[in-house]
Amino acid sequence: MSKTRKLVFMALLTALELTIWVIEGQIPAPIPVPGVKLGLASVVTLTAMALLGRREAGCVLLMRIVLGALFAGSFSAILFSLAGGALSWAVMAGILGLFPEKLLWVVSVFGAIGHNLGQLLAAAAVTKTPSLFWYGPALLASAIVTGAFTGLGAMYLVRALRSYETKHTP
Amino acid sequence: MKRKTVFWIVLFAVLAALGAGTYLLRGGVGRRAVVTVDGEPYRTVDLAAAVVPYEFTVETEYGWNTVRVSPGAIEVADADCPNHDCVKQGAISDGAVPIVCLPHKLVIEIEE
Repeated sequence: MSKTRKLVFMALLTALELTIWVIEGQIPAPIPVPGVKLGLASVVTLTAMALLGRREAGCVLLMRIVLGALFAGSFSAILFSLAGGALSWAVMAGILGLFPEKLLWVVSVFGAIGHNLGQLLAAAAVTKTPSLFWYGPALLASAIVTGAFTGLGAMYLVRALRSYETKHTP
Repeated sequence: MKRKTVFWIVLFAVLAALGAGTYLLRGGVGRRAVVTVDGEPYRTVDLAAAVVPYEFTVETEYGWNTVRVSPGAIEVADADCPNHDCVKQGAISDGAVPIVCLPHKLVIEIEE
């Protein structure tokens, strides 16, 4: 992939992830438990990581977090976004090479667990309330379910984009 | 299906069940609610004694939250925080999930 092509692709992925993130934020959570959400935007991060690389996925994710804070109009939540995003990215970047592409959803589950752990750590640190960790098991369960779902989404998206790329590369 | 796929599915299913189970089992019927601001206890509320619902306001340097107490349940009725997550959460009546208002560093937990 040429440099320009890659840049355009990354910009498109950022726009896509930001849109998904903003729209998902407008939908009331089906489960009235704070912190539990599908996290559809992570489909794009994982796709970027599988197709372009770890650094490129980190760029897309960071841009989405900063732009997302601007679009949502509340900068107070950016600390939690960053904590969750950073840990999720680190976990996925660390284990991506260990799994074949058929098991990309496993990488996603670990990433989701990392994301929720990061947010829980940040919340416990900000509120100085260690008992928030009692909430951990629920977040673990939710991370497994949502992570598997978004991971499968990313897996099919990667597959579709790869076959498109091989067909249409000039 | 490949053996590896089955392994991960089983492992994650067990972990998810354990997590959800722990979470659901912990949520018994609570009696006392503790309001904490910035890690310091602010006020303790006897939920069993709240026969008539009442409200009080927690006002700190971070902002204010109006807390509504009804028999066996507690909720944040209103707040001047930007996201209103604490208000949207509604009332809690067990120790399963605390109410957290992150911008105001406020936590409401129910103790057994």
